[in-house]
Amino acid sequence: MCIRRKQLLRLALPLVRTHGFSREALSRSVLSLPEPHPAPLNETAVSALFGKGEDARRTLIEAWLSEGLADMKNAPSKSLKDILSHRLRYNEPVLGLLPEAFATLATPSGFCLFDASPALKHSTSIADEACSVSEDKSIGPLWYARRASLAAVYTAAELHQMNSPDTAYEFLADLLQSSSKLGNAIGDVGQFASYVGRSWAGIIKSRGVLL
Amino acid sequence: MQTLTRRLSRPTCKFAVVRPSWTSPLPTATLRLNHTSSNQGSKDVDSRFTHFGFQTVREEEKESLVKGVFNSVASNYDVMNDAMSMGVHRLWKDEYVSSLRPGARGPLKCIDLAGGTGDIALRILDYARENYADRETSVDVVDINGEMLKEGYKRFKKTMYHNTPQVRFIESNAQALPEEQFPDNTYDLYTIAFGIRNCTSVPDVLKEAYRVLKPGGTFACLEFSRVTNPLFNMLYDQYSFSVIPMLGSILAGDRESYQYLVESIRKFPPQPEFAKMIQDAGFATGGLHEGKGGAWTDLWGGIACIHRGVKV
Repeated sequence: MCIRRKQLLRLALPLVRTHGFSREALSRSVLSLPEPHPAPLNETAVSALFGKGEDARRTLIEAWLSEGLADMKNAPSKSLKDILSHRLRYNEPVLGLLPEAFATLATPSGFCLFDASPALKHSTSIADEACSVSEDKSIGPLWYARRASLAAVYTAAELHQMNSPDTAYEFLADLLQSSSKLGNAIGDVGQFASYVGRSWAGIIKSRGVLL
Repeated sequence: MQTLTRRLSRPTCKFAVVRPSWTSPLPTATLRLNHTSSNQGSKDVDSRFTHFGFQTVREEEKESLVKGVFNSVASNYDVMNDAMSMGVHRLWKDEYVSSLRPGARGPLKCIDLAGGTGDIALRILDYARENYADRETSVDVVDINGEMLKEGYKRFKKTMYHNTPQVRFIESNAQALPEEQFPDNTYDLYTIAFGIRNCTSVPDVLKEAYRVLKPGGTFACLEFSRVTNPLFNMLYDQYSFSVIPMLGSILAGDRESYQYLVESIRKFPPQPEFAKMIQDAGFATGGLHEGKGGAWTDLWGGIACIHRGVKV
């Protein structure tokens, strides 16, 4: 990607608080350059750089989400609770704009009426980044299970934050605790099931059914 | 070639605001066997070659040869475009102009290069007027070829824009726009449609585009390009090299000019290379890929392509 386009996207992010995820924010990004332009970009220039119509807004929203992902490294500690709380805090300045932003991402410009893939990509990338920052050592099926559960936890916490921002962090902590208990319970059930299975196999062998 | 050679006489033109630089000797240049390097002063006088379709010619000859081609095709240019593309060129030009949305945020000062017959200029003015009630957007139509400008002037005489400040016709060379006539940082929008491939030095055209655009101004180029699908490309080649020169021969009595037009398309750089040239000229563009967030948009599988850049 052209460096200048990336630079303009980065300069547009602070403007989201005042101008929303809008073409106006992208247009005004040139006013924040080291050598600022005398006027914001016109519609033609915004479309040329960032896409026509809603595509430009989607570009800005995706840039904002990428910035949030990169910011997760700055969490105060490596615990999952702190990392995901830090990510929720990133949402706070633009909380009121998020429902509409996610709706815009889910409404593609093509023929589909609804596209869930941006939402899935958002939650799974946050889960993956959280595991990476917390130096998670899971391997095999546990690698996927860990990320799937964190994605579900974060999605629930973010939805809760949009409705009730004050209790979002406690809700996140409760969910993380429940999911670790659930993980332990599933592990215990699995262990018990394999024990029972081995016992039955031993009984059947001793009866001479399988030679 | 004989037909082209006979047509190398200088035309008379009513629009002699600025004389094109092909009337004076071109500066010397180092050996250039492709269009990617720009003209620079050099002591090496002997090795200056470029392509003219599939032929290799001296640089200083190319402008005259291209001029000869367009002198020949000027009077039936639109008819031939309709015949060759079966009217599709109108759709491409409509898509090109509507993607730029002139007039959406106030009047624009536009310059349309190689815009002789006024196709794009008329579309820009109509779009701004019909969609945004904008009667202040203006277009300077610039072409090196006086005959093409005459056709454009005639077309505009039938419209409401004739004798208004919204349109001007200027004869000049896109590679060297005179600074007194085209000062720095003047225009909001620079368009060039199906013309840049005929220029001797594409980097020089891009450099001049960058100079005359204001900060935040947009460069937009509509040009024939490379078809990405191999099967479609094969059919397109067959059509281009068989049907188009034949149509030129039947409808315009000039097979060679249309043969050149078809060959020149094949010599133009492919989409990513041209996007890189636009970036090298200083423009900010989308990523080096097609489509959303990309530096270009293919039309009809790449037969035509719109490249955009912004002066930041």
